[in-house]
Amino acid sequence: MRSSLYILLKSPKFMIGVCLLFVFFAFIVIYPMINTNDPLEMVNMRFQPPSSKNILGTDGFGRDVLLEMAHGTRTSLTVGVISGLIATTVGLIIGIFSGYRGGIVDEILSSLTNVFIVIPSFIILILVSVSIQAKSVFIIAIIIGLTSWPWTARAVRAQTVSLRNRDHVNLARISGFNTVKIIVFEILPYIMSYVVMAFIIQLASGILSEASVSMLGLGPSNTISLGIMLNWALLQEAPLFNAWWTLIPPALTVALITFSFYLINLGMDEIFNPKIRS
Amino acid sequence: MNNYRKYFLKKGIWYILTLVIALSLNFYLPRMIKGNPVDSILSKYKSVGNTDTRKKLYETFTKEFGLDKPLPMQFLIYLKNLTKGDLGTSIMMYPKKVNAVLASALPWTVGLQLPAILCGWLLGNVLGAFAAYKRGVYDKIIFPISLFVTSFPFFIFSIILLYVLGIHFELFPIGGGYDYNLIPALNFEFFKSVIRYHTFPFLSIAIVMIGGQGIGMREMALYELNSDYVKYSKFLGIREWKIIQYVFKNAMLPQITGLGLSLGTMVSGALITELVFNYPGVGTTMFAAIRNLDYPLISGCTLIITLAVLLSNFIIEILYGIIDPRIKSAQLEDS
Amino acid sequence: MSRKLLKVKNLKTYYKTRMHEKIYAVDGVSLEIEEGKVLGVAGESGCGKSTLAHSLMGLYIPPLYYSQGSIEIDGKEIIIDDKEYLRKNVLGKEISYIPQAAMNALNPTLKIRKFIEDIMAEHRPNLSKKDVYDLAAERFSNLNLSPRVLDAFPNELSGGMKQRTIIAISTILNPKILVADEPTSALDVSSQKIVMKLIKQLLEKQYIKSLIFVTHELPLLYHIADDIVIMYAGEIVERGSSDEVIFDPIHPYSKALMASMLVPEKGAKDQKLVAIPGSPPNLKSVIKGCRFADRCKYADEECRKSKVHEKILDNRIYRCKK
Repeated sequence: MRSSLYILLKSPKFMIGVCLLFVFFAFIVIYPMINTNDPLEMVNMRFQPPSSKNILGTDGFGRDVLLEMAHGTRTSLTVGVISGLIATTVGLIIGIFSGYRGGIVDEILSSLTNVFIVIPSFIILILVSVSIQAKSVFIIAIIIGLTSWPWTARAVRAQTVSLRNRDHVNLARISGFNTVKIIVFEILPYIMSYVVMAFIIQLASGILSEASVSMLGLGPSNTISLGIMLNWALLQEAPLFNAWWTLIPPALTVALITFSFYLINLGMDEIFNPKIRS
Repeated sequence: MNNYRKYFLKKGIWYILTLVIALSLNFYLPRMIKGNPVDSILSKYKSVGNTDTRKKLYETFTKEFGLDKPLPMQFLIYLKNLTKGDLGTSIMMYPKKVNAVLASALPWTVGLQLPAILCGWLLGNVLGAFAAYKRGVYDKIIFPISLFVTSFPFFIFSIILLYVLGIHFELFPIGGGYDYNLIPALNFEFFKSVIRYHTFPFLSIAIVMIGGQGIGMREMALYELNSDYVKYSKFLGIREWKIIQYVFKNAMLPQITGLGLSLGTMVSGALITELVFNYPGVGTTMFAAIRNLDYPLISGCTLIITLAVLLSNFIIEILYGIIDPRIKSAQLEDS
Repeated sequence: MSRKLLKVKNLKTYYKTRMHEKIYAVDGVSLEIEEGKVLGVAGESGCGKSTLAHSLMGLYIPPLYYSQGSIEIDGKEIIIDDKEYLRKNVLGKEISYIPQAAMNALNPTLKIRKFIEDIMAEHRPNLSKKDVYDLAAERFSNLNLSPRVLDAFPNELSGGMKQRTIIAISTILNPKILVADEPTSALDVSSQKIVMKLIKQLLEKQYIKSLIFVTHELPLLYHIADDIVIMYAGEIVERGSSDEVIFDPIHPYSKALMASMLVPEKGAKDQKLVAIPGSPPNLKSVIKGCRFADRCKYADEECRKSKVHEKILDNRIYRCKK
C-alpha cells in the first residue's frame, strides 16, 4: 500500500493533477476568508470589465465575479463529492452482487444497469428537477448520484466476475464463509484501487452533470455554482456585451478541475491497471 | 444464421422493454408535482390575457392531462396520444402543438450532432490507431494534445471556441443557425449560411470527440499490438499489413461498444453546446421551455431525446453484431 | 551422419529494458541439430530457453534484439537484412514455432480456416480457398484433429484443442525444423499425453524433419529427445545424448537438476529430493567467471575468476572448470 503511494507520488500525471486541484482548493478556502462579503450582493454596475476593484469584473447583476467563483466552485465541488460518493456506493453494491452471484440475480441487475445506461441520466435529471420546486445542493447531488451509478456498477461487475473464480475466493467459499464476508474480505481488497478510480471519475462527472443541469436552469436554488454562473451569463446575453469574464472563468474552472481529476485518474491507471503496465 | 437472429431478437426485446421504462419515466416523473399541475402551470400566467383565454387554456390542458381520470388512465391516454404522434400543446407558444415546435428544432440538432459525433469518432479512432502504430514523434505530439482536449466537456470547449475564435478572431458567426436576414429556402445561399453557422458547434463537438477517441483507440491498439497472436502471426510469416488489419479490427470492437455506452452523455453535452451558440435545435428549445415552465414541451423534448438515444444505441448494437464475426457463430457470454 | 539442418554459432540476443539496460538472455549459444533428431533444451525458468526458442526464428521482435552470431538452416544463413525474404521463405516454411501459451496465440476474431488461408496466401499463393481448406482438413484428420475445428473461433476450443490446433498450423507447411516452446506446460496431464503423441506423429509422418523441444520438465525429454542441452543463465552448460545427460551428467548444475527429479521407478521412495539452493543470477550485470558458482557445491575461487569455456569430452560438451 505504501509502495503504491510512493510510486503514485512519482507519477507526473498524478502530481500535476493533485497540484492543480490543490490550487483550486486553496482558492475556495482562502479567498472567502479574505473577502467576506455576500457573493450575491451587488457591488458595482453590471458587466464591468476586470479592474483593480473587481479582479474578474462584474456579472450581469453587478456582482463580483471572483467572489462568485470562490463560492460557486465550492458548491460545484460539493455536488461532485456527494454525488460521487452516492454513485460509487450504489454502483459498487449492485456491481459486486451482480458479478458475484451470477445467475438470475446477475441477469436482472445487469438488465437494470443497462437500462439506466442507455436512458441518458441527464434526461432523468431534467425530468426530476423539473418537478421539484426548491432544490437544495444536496437534493441535486442525490439525484445526480442516483442516476449515474450504472457506469460504476458495470465496471465493478466486470472486475468481480474475473475475481469470482480465483483460488482464494473458492477457498473461502468452501470454508463456509457467508457471502457478505467473502465479498468484503476476498473480493473488495482486490478491486479497491479500481473503486477509488471509479469514485474520481464519478466525482468529475458529477461536477459536469451539475454544470449541465444548472446551465439549463434546473440547478440548485438560492446558491451559486459554476453551472449557474454560466446559466446567468447566457440568459443575460453576455456574448453580446463581450463580457468574456463572466463566461470564460467559470468555464475554464470546470474544465481545469475535470482535467485535474482526469490526470489523477490516468496516473493511477498507469500504476494499477495491469494491462497498461509495461 | 440462427444465432444471429437470436442475438437480434434478444436485443430487440430488451430495447422495447427499455422503451417502456423510458416512456413511464417520462410520464410519471414530472407528475410528481403535488397538486393540480394545470393550476400550478397557469398560476405562472396570472397576467396572461383575459379570463376567456385563461379558461380556454385551462380546458385544453385539463383535457390533455386527463386530470379528471386516475393516473394509470392518464398514462394510457398519454400512450395513445403518442401512437398518434400527438405530444401535446405547448404552453409558451400556445396554441402551437409540441410536434410542430420539435419538428422545426429536430433537424437542426440531428444535422449538427450526427455528423459531428460520427466524424469525431472516425477521425479520432484513425488518429489513435496511427499514433499507436507509428509511435515516436506522432505519439509524443498527438497524445498530450488529445489528453488535454478530451477532458473538456463539449459545452465548455464551445465557450472557449466562442470567445477565442468567434469574438476575438471573428472566424465564424457565434449565434443562431443561419443569417438572420435570410429566409430558409432550398438555395445555395441559405445552405452556405447554414454551414457557416454550423461550423462552431460542429467543431466544439468533433474536436473533443477526436481527442477522446484518439486516446481510447491508441490504448486499445497498443494493447492488441503487444498480444501473443500478433507475435505468432509474425512467426508464421504473415505480412505486416495483414497484421495491422487484425489489430485494427480487434481494437475497433470495444470502441464501438464504448460509443454506444457514452452516447447518452454525448448527446446531452451536445445539447448544451447548442445553448452556447443559440443554435435553433432541441437544446435551445428545451432551455426556453424550462425557463417558461412549458411542461408539455419539456416532456416532448426529453422524450424525443430519449428515443433518439435508444434508437442510436440499437443501431450500434446491430452494427456490432454484424462486425464481430463471433456473434454470427455462437452466443457470447454477456461480459 | 545425416546432414545438419541447423547450425547456431555463438548467438547473442538481448532484451532492452525501459531504463535502456541490455539483458543478454541468450549469451553466446552454439548448437546443432541433425535431420531426424530431437534436441531437448532444458533448464529452470528464467534461464533463457524461451528466449532461445524465439531467437532461433531469425525474427527479433522488440524488446528483443539481435546482437551477434549466426544461424544456418540447411547451410543457408537466415540472419539477413532482407526481412521480406525471411518472412516469405523461412518463417513457417523452413523453421516454425509453437508458442508456450496457446491461449492467446490465435486471433480471437478469426476463424481457424481463415487464419490458415492468410498463412497460405503468403507461402502458397497459387492455392484456391477450397484447396487450402482441403489441405488443412486432410492434415488435421491425419493428426487426429477433427476438421470441424477449422470452422471454429478460438474461444470455442478447449485449451488442449487450441494447443493441438496450433501444432497442426505451425507444421502445415512441413517445416524442416520445429521449435516447440514448452508445448505442454499449460495443459493438464491427459492433454499433455495427447500433445506428446501428436508431436511424435509429426516426426513419424515426416511433417517435420527435426524438433527442438524446450521445456523445464525433464521427464518429458527422456521420452522424446535424442540429445539434450542444459541451459543456465543464458549459456549452455552441458550437451550430450539423452542417456548421457540424464544418467551420467557432468556439469554440477545438470547433476543437481537430475537429482531434483522424481522418477517413478524402483527405489524412488527412498530417494531424497534435493532442491538447488539460491536462484539464477541477475543478468543485468556482467558476471565474471562461472555463472553457477554461487549455487554450486563444488565451486571455488578458480571458478569465479574468469569466464568458463566449453570443454569437449567424447562427443559431449560441458562448461565447467572441474
